[in-house]
Amino acid sequence: MDLYLKRDALVRYGTPALIGIAVIAPFLSGNLYLLNILTLMLIFIIFSSAWNLLAYSGQGSLGHAAFFGIGAYASTLIAAKSGISPYVTIFLGAAVAAFIGILIGLTCVRLKEWFLAMVTFGFAIIVQTITVSLLTPISGGWDGIASPRLLSPDIAGYQLIEYYSILVITIACILFIYAIMKSRIGLAFCAIRENEIEARAAGIDPVRFRLVSFAISAYLAGIAGALEIHHIGYVTPEIFGVDLSFWPVTYVIFGGLGTLAGPIVGTIALTIIWDGLKMLGLTFGRYIIIGVLLILVIVFLPKGLVDLPNEIQRRWNARREKRMKADTATLKE
Amino acid sequence: MVDFGILLQIVFWGVYAGCIYILLATGLNLIFGVMKVVNFAHGEFLMIGAYITATIFFITGINPYAIILLSMLALIAIGAVVERLCFRPILGTGKLNEIFLSIGLIYIIQNSAAVIWGDEWQSIKSPYEGVSIPIGSLNVPLDYIIIMVVTAGILVGLWLFLKRTKIGREMRATSQNRKGAMLVGINVERMDIISFGIGCALAAAAGTLWVVSGQVFNPYMGSIPAIKAFAIIILGGLGSIPGAIVGGLLYGIAENGAAYYFGGIWKDAVSFILLIIVLVIRPTGLFGESGE
Repeated sequence: MDLYLKRDALVRYGTPALIGIAVIAPFLSGNLYLLNILTLMLIFIIFSSAWNLLAYSGQGSLGHAAFFGIGAYASTLIAAKSGISPYVTIFLGAAVAAFIGILIGLTCVRLKEWFLAMVTFGFAIIVQTITVSLLTPISGGWDGIASPRLLSPDIAGYQLIEYYSILVITIACILFIYAIMKSRIGLAFCAIRENEIEARAAGIDPVRFRLVSFAISAYLAGIAGALEIHHIGYVTPEIFGVDLSFWPVTYVIFGGLGTLAGPIVGTIALTIIWDGLKMLGLTFGRYIIIGVLLILVIVFLPKGLVDLPNEIQRRWNARREKRMKADTATLKE
Repeated sequence: MVDFGILLQIVFWGVYAGCIYILLATGLNLIFGVMKVVNFAHGEFLMIGAYITATIFFITGINPYAIILLSMLALIAIGAVVERLCFRPILGTGKLNEIFLSIGLIYIIQNSAAVIWGDEWQSIKSPYEGVSIPIGSLNVPLDYIIIMVVTAGILVGLWLFLKRTKIGREMRATSQNRKGAMLVGINVERMDIISFGIGCALAAAAGTLWVVSGQVFNPYMGSIPAIKAFAIIILGGLGSIPGAIVGGLLYGIAENGAAYYFGGIWKDAVSFILLIIVLVIRPTGLFGESGE
């Protein structure tokens, strides 16, 4: 079985190159607008990797904004009430998200693919409703609440420090996901995804492992949400919206579902396209282009952008074979 | 204390809201039955139907109920194109792929509509606004009654089409056993396109009725009704049209009851809570057999 974790040349040289670019990128861009885009891009790499891990165990969620938002709200409230640095509270907020993730996972683990998509979608709406109704006294209702910044804006170059600290957290999260995918847990996820009955026969408890993947995925999504909100400094219930649930899906499908590199490649590529189109002055047009690209990728490149080199090679080999066959055919004549 | 008059009012609103869900859910059921495809972008077709109705109404000013046929015809064409270009290439590659493709479609359709018509909330006035008919203790707006009659008419028409025509029989055969249908010489791909087109036309009818009853609409209105329609077909049983009708009515009533007793904000959440409770108890849906 293909675990999509092969270390070929592209990965061996690509990874250090990517990290190198990420380290020097702020100096290449040189302005704060681009630095902000880069920071958000890192956050979304965590978010889409978290979604991807859940999909790795065969569960496609359409409501990951719920965990993103719960992490954000929980971390904001903890940081605001206790005065602890947001750098600590993001992990506490994410733990709340993971706890809710287990609760949601409990209702989802026995469901079929698209029932699960529906239920997770519904959960995002339920969480949003609760936030603006029952929890209004602490959540601020539709107006939202101010969130403590990661670093005080008084510190010189605080954006740059923020960027590097988020880069470190992102790399840590990716390494964590890599470790999980390589471990027995990751193997179990694969087995459940490919064939649940066979996995059961091999002694893997699908319910337990699905819950584990829900918890980890929700935890990482919570970290991403908390980081974004502490970076922006404000949180509103819009964070539970459909848009934020769909973005990680789009990024991952674009990059390559079920691969470690997929969410990273997809997020980077789509961020470049997205913000490039914004500079051209497109608003709704951007979504249309992203939608068309997404469908093209699904139809013609089912394994995503990370598979592009292989796909090109396959096509090229097929064509060469065809030509060779044609040549031998003419020789025989 | 439960006031009987209010209860009746809620039931009536529920039935009216249910009509739109029934049309959406029936269309989805038809598509799912024949193609076994999950189209999360179904609500977008409702939205297009709504905008087509509103646009024709703004230009010509004719009775908006008369536009329903036009918007259905337009959506048959659009649906056929979407099926051919998007869903056919990925048929049989897994449910998740269909969901992801739907997300792409949602982006494209919503934002194309926003480019063409703008993204503000709009609404039109029904010619029968303010006209109501007293039934017992209730004053029922004439619009509601027309909408229920139109919905019933469409469903009867669909039923006759499925039971009495050759294409209808072929569609039912395809939905029962795709390979068997192929063996007896039915062009299943043609059935796919037809069922997708009809499903979209039903969504367009729902869109027209939505607009005519004076409800506001914008390019993003379709997602939530579509997801609810999915919830309805999960509750009512996959591929079962009577199930979709009963489910749609129950949903409409439950939702309006919740909106009345807990406040309007709970309207959407309650329908999902209902779905989740049902799925926790019965992971295959209320009437679902093994399903897909």
